Amino acid sequence: MTKPLLQVRDLEVTFGHGKNAVSAVAGVSFDIYEGETLGVVGESGCGKSTTGKALMRIVEPTKGTVINGDQNITELSGRALRRARTQMQMIFQDPISSLNPRRRIKDIVAEPLDCWGTAKGEERDALVSDLLSKVGIDPAVYGNRYARQFSGGQCQRISIARSLAMRPKLLICDEMVSALDVSVQAQILNLLDDLKREYGLTLLFIAHDLGVVKNVSDRVAVMYLGKICEIGPSDALYAAPAHPYTKFLLGAALEADVDSDAHSEVLEGEPPSPLNPPSGCRFRTRCPMAQAKCAEEEPALQDVGTGHQVACHFPLTIGRK
Amino acid sequence: MSNETAVSQVDKPEKRDPLGPLFWVCVGWATLTILASLLANWLPIESPITQDYTALNQGPTLHHLLGTDDLGRDILARIIFGGRISIGVGFGAMAIGFGIGAPLGMLTAYRRGRLDTIVTSVMYMLLAFPAIIATIAILSFWVPRALPKIIVVIGLASVPLVYRVIRTATLNVAAKDYVVAAKVQGASDRRILLKELLPNIFPIAISFLLIGIATVISLEGALAFLGLSVNPPTPSWGNMINEARTVLSTDPWLVIFPSLALCLFLLCLNFIGDRLRSYFDVTEVKL
Amino acid sequence: MSENVLVVENLATTFHTKGGPVPAVGGVSFSLGPNETLGIVGESGSGKTVLSRTIMGLQPRTNVEVTGSVLLNGHQMVGVSEDEKRKHWATEVAMVFQDPMTSLNPVMRVGKQIDEVLRVRLGMPKDAAKARAIELLRLVGIPSPEERYSAYPGQLSGGMRQRVVIAIALACSPSLLMADEPTTGLDVTIQAQILNLIEQIKNDLNMSVILVTHDLGVVATRTTRLIVMYAGRIVEIGTTRDVFKDHRMPYTRALLESSPRVSNASHTRLQAIPGRPPNLLKLDQGCAFAPRCAFATQKCHEERPELEETGTPGHLFACWNPLTTKIGA
Repeated sequence: MTKPLLQVRDLEVTFGHGKNAVSAVAGVSFDIYEGETLGVVGESGCGKSTTGKALMRIVEPTKGTVINGDQNITELSGRALRRARTQMQMIFQDPISSLNPRRRIKDIVAEPLDCWGTAKGEERDALVSDLLSKVGIDPAVYGNRYARQFSGGQCQRISIARSLAMRPKLLICDEMVSALDVSVQAQILNLLDDLKREYGLTLLFIAHDLGVVKNVSDRVAVMYLGKICEIGPSDALYAAPAHPYTKFLLGAALEADVDSDAHSEVLEGEPPSPLNPPSGCRFRTRCPMAQAKCAEEEPALQDVGTGHQVACHFPLTIGRK
Repeated sequence: MSNETAVSQVDKPEKRDPLGPLFWVCVGWATLTILASLLANWLPIESPITQDYTALNQGPTLHHLLGTDDLGRDILARIIFGGRISIGVGFGAMAIGFGIGAPLGMLTAYRRGRLDTIVTSVMYMLLAFPAIIATIAILSFWVPRALPKIIVVIGLASVPLVYRVIRTATLNVAAKDYVVAAKVQGASDRRILLKELLPNIFPIAISFLLIGIATVISLEGALAFLGLSVNPPTPSWGNMINEARTVLSTDPWLVIFPSLALCLFLLCLNFIGDRLRSYFDVTEVKL
Repeated sequence: MSENVLVVENLATTFHTKGGPVPAVGGVSFSLGPNETLGIVGESGSGKTVLSRTIMGLQPRTNVEVTGSVLLNGHQMVGVSEDEKRKHWATEVAMVFQDPMTSLNPVMRVGKQIDEVLRVRLGMPKDAAKARAIELLRLVGIPSPEERYSAYPGQLSGGMRQRVVIAIALACSPSLLMADEPTTGLDVTIQAQILNLIEQIKNDLNMSVILVTHDLGVVATRTTRLIVMYAGRIVEIGTTRDVFKDHRMPYTRALLESSPRVSNASHTRLQAIPGRPPNLLKLDQGCAFAPRCAFATQKCHEERPELEETGTPGHLFACWNPLTTKIGA
C-alpha cells in the first residue's frame, strides 16, 4: 500500500466553549494518497469546508493530528508552519474575493515567489508568464490588468495559477466551482484535470454538487454533521451506496436527465442542530432504518468493500459483496 | 491546449467615475484657504490685532475688504489668521487621532484575540461617553488655554472613533479570501498588513480623515462659542462668530464673513472626502 | 380552449445605462395554460431574472423601458400604473425569490407576515387571518405550525424559511406562481423537499408555475415545458422532453453536455463551452452565441436567427444550423 501523502487522525474542530460549543468537525480520520483526487461531499453544516481549512490550520484544530509526509502540521508554528503551508494550497469558493482587487494579476501570481524569494527578476517574470498561460490567460495582454477587471471564471484561473507558483503537492479546492456558471464550471474542471496531470498534484475536492464531485474524484468521502459516514471509490460508492444518508443524498440529486427518477424517497426533516447532536449515530433522527443500537452506540468506520468503508450499524450493502 | 484561447474577453480598464469639475473647485478653494493661513505673515494684509480707530465697525470698504469690527481690526486679516487656529486644530487633532487610532485599529482587527477584546472594550466605553462633554470639561479646567492644548484634547477625544472606523474597515478586508490566501502562501503578518490590508483600507481612511477634519473644525467653532477656544485677541473663526453674535442685527458682516469662511471650507472638505470615497470604491456595483 | 393564465408577446426590457442601452430581454413570446409548469433556464446574463421580474411588473421604475405585452389572466401588465399592477399581485400572481432571508422581514414574526397579505389583500379579520395563516403553514409542511407562527425568520432554517415564503405566496390562491431560483443555495435534500412541495401545491390548488433557474437538474423532471435563454432571448422552447432529447440549438446541447452527471463515470471529460456569456452592452449583430458556437457560419455572425418551428408544434428554436441528431436513449 502506498504511503499516504496526508494522514488525518481524529481531527476535531470546536467553535465556542461550554454550553455554546459547536463541534463543526467531530472526529474525522482519513488518508489522502499521492496523485489521487479525494472528493468530500455533504450538506451545509457537515463540516467539509472546516475540515479543509483545519488541514491548513486556517482554522485551528481543537484535537487530532495532520501529518504531511513526515511533518506533523498540527504541531508546527511560526516560520516552519508558513513554510509547510506552501506545500498545500487552497482555492476558495468566491473567485472575486480571492484576489486583491487593487493588485495586478502578475503581482498576485508572483506573491508566493516574492514572499520566499524563490525567484527574482527575469526568472520570476518568466515563471509568472508561464503559469498564466497554463491557465489560459495571455500574460502579455492581461498580465498588467487589475484583478477586479476579470470575470468569476477568469479569477478562478488566476487563483489556480497563484496556488501553483510554489509547486505544492496538495491542492485543497473548497467549493471552487460552486459560484460559477455551468459552462464556465466545465472549463475550470477540465483545466484542473489537465493541470493535475501536468503538475502531479493531489487534490482534496470539497463540494456539495454530487455530479461535480463524482466527475473529478477517484475516491469520495460523505460527511454528515461533522463526521464521515462513508468513504470509498467514487464509481462504487455512487453505484451502491452503503450508508442510508448517501443513498438519500444521491436520490435527491437533481440530474439533468428527463428520464431520471424524479420521485425517489425524499429525506424528511432537517439536519439536527450541531449544538446538540443526537447520541450514537448522528443520522439516526432522520434515518428510516434506525434501531435501538443506533441511539446507544456511535458506529465506527468498517470495511464493506475494497477501500470502501462506512460508519453504520446496518449498512445497505451487507450481504451484497 | 484548448485552454490557450480560453480568455478572450477581459473588461477594458474601466473609466472610473471622473472626479468632476466641482471636485477640483473644492480642492482649489481648500488649498487656497490653507495656503493663505500658512503664509498669512507674508501676505499683504493688515495685522489681525492692529486697531484702526479711523474705521470702527465699518462694513466692507476698499481699504478693509471685509469690513472692521468694533475695535477697528480688519476682518479679512482676522479671518486669514483665524484660519490658522481652525485648520491647525482640524489637522493637528486628526493627526493625533489617526496616528494613535488607525494603527491600533488595524492591528487589533488583524490579530484579534485578547488584545483586541480588551482594547475594543475600552474604546467602546470611551465612545459611549460624549466626547464633547469631556472636551468641554477638560478645557474648562486646563487653563491657560493654548492651541497645542486644544489640539491634544480634541485629538485624544477622537481616538476611539477613528479606532472603531479603521478597525471595522480592517475586519471587512481581513475576512476576504485573498487575505487568507496570502497567509497560506507564507506571507508574514507585516507583508499582509502592508500589501493586502493597507491599500484596501486607504480609501475609507482618507475620506474619513477629511470628514474628521471638518468635524473637528466645527467642534472648535462650538468650543469658541462657549468661550473655551483660544483667548482673545487671537482670532479664530469660532470666536469671531461668538464675539459678534450680540451685534448680529446691526453689524451682520461680522458674523457672515467668518461663518462663510468656516462653512465653505467645511463643505469643500466634505465634498472632497465623499468624491474620493466613490472614486476609490472599486467594488461598487456598476449597472 | 382553456383560458391561458399568461400570454407574453414580444416582451422586451431595455436598461438605459451610462454606457448605453442594455437589451436585457428581447422578443420573448410564450403562453402558459392552467396547471402547467414552465421552466426558464439560462446562465448569468441570460435575462431570465429580468424576464421574471418584468412579467410580474417588478422592474425598476427609472431608466428602464419595457415594450410588448404581458396578459395575466387577461389583464395587461405592461405600461400600466403601479396601482393597476398591484391589484393582481398576490391574488393572481405571486413570486418566490431565491434568498428567503432577504425576502422575509427579519424583524417581523413569520405568522404576522402571512397575516399581512390576508388582511390587506383579502380583507380578512384578524382572527380569521391567523387561523388561515396557521393552516397555510401546515399546508407547506412546517411542523407545529401554531408555535412556528410566532417565530422570527432568523429562528428558522433555510428550508423552513423558504416554506414560509411559499406560504405567503399561496395565501391568496394565485393562479400563477413565479419561482425565481427557489432552491439555489439550499441543501440538496431540502431542495428536493421544496420542489416536491411546489409540485404538490400546484396540483392541489390548480396553479401554474414558472420555475426560473440555471440548474438543468431542477427543470428536467419537474417541468412540462422549457425555455432556454441566452443573451436575453429565447433560443429554444418546447416540451421539456423535446428540449432535452430532440433539441436543435447547439447552445442547448452544449449546456447539457457541460453539466457533470451523477450517472456518468468519474473522470468523464466535460464538453466545455469556450469563452463566456456576452456583454449585453456590446452585442454584435448576428446570433449572440456565434462567437462560442462550434457550428457557427458566416451567416450566424451577420444575421440573428428568428425562432422557427420544428415539425412538432410548440417546439421552436433560433438557429441557422440546427442540430439534426437526436440524443441517444
